[in-house]
Amino acid sequence: MKLDALEKAMLDGAHGEAARWGLEYQQRVGAFFDAEDFVPVRLIHISTDRETMGDSGVSFIRELGDLPPESRRPRAFAAADFRGFDDETFRFLLPGRDLATQSAEAAEALGRLGVSTAHAYINDHSVTAPVFGEACGYSGTPSVIYMNGLVGARCNFEAGPSSLAAFFTGRVPRYGFHLSENRRATHAYQLAFTPESVVEWGAVGAIIGRRLNSYWSVPAIDCSSATPPVLSLNHMALNLASYGSIAMFHVIGVTPEAPDWDAAFGGKAPSPELITREAVETFLESWGGAGEKLDVVALSTPQLSMTELIEIADLLDGRHVHPDTTLLAYAPLEIKEAAERIGVKQRIEKAGGRIVHGHDFFATYAKEIREHHNWDRLMTHSVKVANICAGYGYRPRPASIEQCVKSAIAGKVLP
Amino acid sequence: MSASTSDIVLRGHVGIGPSVRGVVLAASDDFSARYDLDRDRGVVSRRAHKLYGESYVGKILVLNAAKGGVASAWMLRDMVLAGKAPLALLLNNANPVMAQGAAFADLPFIDRFDVDVTQALRSGDTVFVDPALGLVRIEARGD
Repeated sequence: MKLDALEKAMLDGAHGEAARWGLEYQQRVGAFFDAEDFVPVRLIHISTDRETMGDSGVSFIRELGDLPPESRRPRAFAAADFRGFDDETFRFLLPGRDLATQSAEAAEALGRLGVSTAHAYINDHSVTAPVFGEACGYSGTPSVIYMNGLVGARCNFEAGPSSLAAFFTGRVPRYGFHLSENRRATHAYQLAFTPESVVEWGAVGAIIGRRLNSYWSVPAIDCSSATPPVLSLNHMALNLASYGSIAMFHVIGVTPEAPDWDAAFGGKAPSPELITREAVETFLESWGGAGEKLDVVALSTPQLSMTELIEIADLLDGRHVHPDTTLLAYAPLEIKEAAERIGVKQRIEKAGGRIVHGHDFFATYAKEIREHHNWDRLMTHSVKVANICAGYGYRPRPASIEQCVKSAIAGKVLP
Repeated sequence: MSASTSDIVLRGHVGIGPSVRGVVLAASDDFSARYDLDRDRGVVSRRAHKLYGESYVGKILVLNAAKGGVASAWMLRDMVLAGKAPLALLLNNANPVMAQGAAFADLPFIDRFDVDVTQALRSGDTVFVDPALGLVRIEARGD
């Protein structure tokens, strides 16, 4: 890779050990993807859920923190989302694990480096906001595809250690979606219907993701309806990433690099492939479970908005969650507190549900939780949660929030 | 093991990590450390995965494409330090997360072969993996 004078100095250690490590590490990754050079970045998002980092990840960050301050100067602003977790609920979910201490250790180690830890969900742009065309170094896959597709910023998946390296070097290797030619659409899809719930939007993302199954594929999608709400687009996008490792997409007439088909493709677009309602219904039905005992409902990923919490409270009014079923609704701390101020939290809790803040269900030892409670059947409105929890031994069933909550009341999976 | 096949060499893109020799565990499925593995036991835990229940520890793990989110980047190093990692990882197609994870863990890793690596290699094969050259040499076929 071509290095400028500053980058050469970093590599030689003139700007401290953290920058030297970061640049050397980024060079290895950049060379793997044939990056010619680096691109400066201003904003970094570091993915730091405690389970993912592991003890070794926290130790690594501590070792960086043990360096003298002059050896670990940041060259960008970095935020880590989902700091902390809901201690009260977690003591119920997994009493044998002291996640409070573990989580505090991670937050302290990151804070010592100067990483801003926030409770917000980074891709809702409340913490950091790149502009169209700006290179950035985001970590979470939902955040990356959001920034690429919806904002038009430029980013690859910069996973935990990679974003940490960018924090110290102020740059990332220039390959993938930093290059204009890789951002053009490669595949065309037309929705033959308008999805009615976020789980259906998520299923559309999952179906396209499975078909493409490549980081380097870029779907362009005509949603054939009025501009979809950002939450719907978010569910579709994060499932493109979850099921297909996709980091860039276009929605014709909606996203900034796709005012029309030909602009999305940088030339004449191919005929789009249809995504039908039947395909979505088949996808959702394929998870099975109708009529079976329901152990847990996990409504998370992305974390819930206030309107979704109100929907849950309305569905629970005058009813109660079945005693053999646990209902968990994950929301950012700020939203949870706002829900308490208007009585929504109280209504959900009165009906036997729990609003949980902090790290998502799948990111807080969900496998151990299943083993502890001997849980089997899980429902969720997030097609991504279904994907991940299938690997943790659950038998998930994705469904709308309404279907999930009604099933939680019934104690079994309702069709 | 069957007769020597030392003249068969698979060519991929220049990879990451040191060269190693080991026994293959292969399937045409995709790979994510978070989505597919019981990292404590060192086995594949996704029921729908063709390697469900198999131990990948110390094996040359051969799969199709990297999938899923950012977790693998932290997890691969954690698995190496815990002695619960594959010896090397060979994929048809990587994503940045897997390359970043391999570089962080110094785990031998190659992708972009001139053939479908999940078809060219079979579980039980003994291979030599040379990431610096992007080469995999089949030294012996498994049963």
